[in-house]
Amino acid sequence: MSLTETDWTDWAGRVALLGLLGLGIAAIFLPMVLTLYLSMFDEQMIVFPPHGYTLAWYGRIAGTFGAAIWTSLQIAVVAVALSLALGIPAGIGLSRHRFRGREALSTFLLSPLTVPGIAVGLAIYILAIWLEEKSGVTLAGSLRLLILAHLLITMPWVIRLCLASLTNHERTTEEAAASLGASPMMVIWRVTLPAMRPGIIAAGLFAFIISFENLEINLFLVAPGITTLSVSVLQYLGYHIDPLVAAVAVAQMVIVGAALLLLDRFVRLGQVLK
Amino acid sequence: MRQKLPLAAAGLLGPATSVVVLMLAAPLALLFRDSLNRFDVTELMIETVTAANYTRFFTETFYWEVLRTTILVAATVAVLCVALGLPLAWRLARTTSRWKSLMMLLVILPLFIGSTVRTVGWMILFARNGMMDSVAGLFGTRVDLMYTTTAVIIGTLSVNLPFMVLTLQSVFEGIDDRLTEAAQGLGATPSRAFWRVVWPLALPGVMISAILSFILGMNAYATPVLLGGPRFQMMAPLVFWEFNTNSNWPFSAALAFILMATTLLLTSLSNFLVPRRYRA
Repeated sequence: MSLTETDWTDWAGRVALLGLLGLGIAAIFLPMVLTLYLSMFDEQMIVFPPHGYTLAWYGRIAGTFGAAIWTSLQIAVVAVALSLALGIPAGIGLSRHRFRGREALSTFLLSPLTVPGIAVGLAIYILAIWLEEKSGVTLAGSLRLLILAHLLITMPWVIRLCLASLTNHERTTEEAAASLGASPMMVIWRVTLPAMRPGIIAAGLFAFIISFENLEINLFLVAPGITTLSVSVLQYLGYHIDPLVAAVAVAQMVIVGAALLLLDRFVRLGQVLK
Repeated sequence: MRQKLPLAAAGLLGPATSVVVLMLAAPLALLFRDSLNRFDVTELMIETVTAANYTRFFTETFYWEVLRTTILVAATVAVLCVALGLPLAWRLARTTSRWKSLMMLLVILPLFIGSTVRTVGWMILFARNGMMDSVAGLFGTRVDLMYTTTAVIIGTLSVNLPFMVLTLQSVFEGIDDRLTEAAQGLGATPSRAFWRVVWPLALPGVMISAILSFILGMNAYATPVLLGGPRFQMMAPLVFWEFNTNSNWPFSAALAFILMATTLLLTSLSNFLVPRRYRA
């Protein structure tokens, strides 16, 4: 059988397709694989090929980045708690009530996701300085301000996930509870919240990751002594690239990966991210 | 049934709304106000109302160049993202493998790892005496990609691609597979069935994903800083640099607004590129 022209273009197309697939996979995963590889070098810097391999760099993470990791964790945990405390009621409010301006309010509450982090960070810093001048309360460079800023970017995710977990929620159980004499607070506590449980757990994990990984807002709000992991890794990379920083990067990937695996058990990630 | 805001809803939504007002609306309003102030080397910021910061941007070629580079990088990355994202997303949407959810997770994972961490790998590859350079050294040549536009484009592409794959995948999932089967049943080759049946249906979604990638590229910070080096300038790093190094808050505020306005303008313009009948 001779090779016709359509066969040939089909074959060429298939090879091109495979090439693009390979390039795409490499573009996403190659840097992560390389980082993992470098983190095990038994060298002070990139010497390729290395003389040997070691896991010792992982033990040295705490020495250089320990304080920053601790700050990042503190901010993330408090931001998660606050964003759940404010985001869950907002999610319930938006899904339950139909009022004029509901669409606009929902857009407004999710808007922190669409403003570039660099603008948000600069704006919050400038407001903090302005308030300091007016009131004398120190805000800039404090953990409080970082937490509040992180609340702004984690809360929309909580609202979004709560809204998603309530879209197919049957109001009849709530109505039944209310007609049996449960107060509105009781209905939320005993009926609505238990129904939202997977969504709430997912929201908490999501909020944690979003806070932990933030860089742009942190850039403006960190101060000497209060530096987040993302900022200190960026600063470190400005001077050297070595197996230690690769090990920190891998550790971060592992933490986020574990959180995502956990999250995947509660919500279908593909659905949530749309 | 639409009514005025009931008291219960106000109680539920009030606290969250006040956070967005206090931490986003008020700061952005003040930022805009400050962008109209004047910078002074000794007094830093002098209160006035002037458009000088904006006119400075549009009259000095240096800043034009920065904006041009930013748009160029973001647009190139968006186009490359479509080219590399389409095949991956299509495969992911149409696979019947039992590993599908694992594959999805692998695409989602990088989305939540900060761009700094994901740039480390490219630095290892591109750095002087890095891996590419060392391998090239064995053949007697040198490869120095570090601190080039190419490096920034590759790094940003790598950061944006998972977003692209994920959004395109959901676009493809929304297109009924029976349409392709029908086209092939009528004698179309798989590639013809794709380009004539699936592609027109997917086009609005592809456009939206490309715009998303463009926006991410316009606002990129870590990749241009780490892979572009100190002499490579893009808008987001410039905003921080003017703030941090020059303490010129009014100008950096103006830069932030110029960046947001340009992104908004270009993304709404690009909407007209999609033929009307395909618009979402």
